Amino acid sequence: MYGWIWRHLPGPVAVRVALAVVLALGVAALLLFVVFPWLEPLLPFNNVTAE
Amino acid sequence: MGTVEHLGRGAGRISGDLGELAPSPRPRPRPGPTPPEKDRTRTIVRTVGEVLITLGMVVLLFVIYEVYITDLISAGKQREATAQLDDRWHEQDTAEAQRSDHFEGLGEGDGFAKMYIPAFGADYQFTIVEGTTAESLEVGPGHYTDTAYPGQPGNFSVAGHRVGKGAPFNDINLIQSCDAIVVETQHSWFVYRMVPLEEEKAGWAEGKGKDPRCKGVEPLGGPYEALVGQEIVLPTNGGVIAPVPHNPDVTLSSGEMASLMTLTTCHPRFSDKERLIVHAVLTDQWAKDPSKPDERPVELEETG
Repeated sequence: MYGWIWRHLPGPVAVRVALAVVLALGVAALLLFVVFPWLEPLLPFNNVTAE
Repeated sequence: MGTVEHLGRGAGRISGDLGELAPSPRPRPRPGPTPPEKDRTRTIVRTVGEVLITLGMVVLLFVIYEVYITDLISAGKQREATAQLDDRWHEQDTAEAQRSDHFEGLGEGDGFAKMYIPAFGADYQFTIVEGTTAESLEVGPGHYTDTAYPGQPGNFSVAGHRVGKGAPFNDINLIQSCDAIVVETQHSWFVYRMVPLEEEKAGWAEGKGKDPRCKGVEPLGGPYEALVGQEIVLPTNGGVIAPVPHNPDVTLSSGEMASLMTLTTCHPRFSDKERLIVHAVLTDQWAKDPSKPDERPVELEETG
């Protein structure tokens, strides 16, 4: 999977490293600010009220 | 991109001129080309491994999100709510002649009071917002809308997160009987103190009750028999925020009713199996003096 991505990144090694870092940060940001806020209320960790 | 050796699988690894018999200048320990069958197995195993590692990283990232990132987001929201509350108090202070607290017309998520627990340090301060929806609780401790407001007879009940989201009630299990929970409204200061724990109830008057800080704190009788300083209950036990805790059916006139404060949070940490509940009773209150806006109650000095 990662090998496939690496082979499909264009340019010399320096550019590929930069692109890979950008990709990783993008995925992390997507998880932190979109996926996790959506997922979190569905998980049984953090309900603090008594009904 | 688009060069021929990039098109085939593993082309970068296996030398392009397979037919050539001459030894390559840099000998490799690996034997000749692997048969395609084995190569495919290798690819599958490697991909599964990569996916598992990736999932592990995602779970780690989620822990970081839950414990740190939500704190950052909530800190911003709490700052904003506090700034808005300060603005509103300041505005109404100059506009109103009559100095009495009123809480009508509060919208979900509006800040209306500040709470201090001096035992947790001088910097422990949170703006309490109206409502207990997930959005409100991201801002700070949230007031159960059907319960009393600060200083009123009944049970002023507040829920707060224990992990992440600013975690206002992170250490709430460490609060001791008689520790002050100070609530500031626009015109008043209210001092609540945690009521005795179950095991402290017997012999309270001769024991801890002698501490000067415990003035006004004692085991309450009658319908309040079941009231203890801290308890762990099931999430379905809504009786803890009833005007008379654990006696939701009892109706008392406001004169007979004690003024209580109840904090609820999740228990154990990182789980929502149960709820940790803290009950406190109103022992003192002051009207703010408009000529001395910076005056603060002495209870706030009870740090450490």
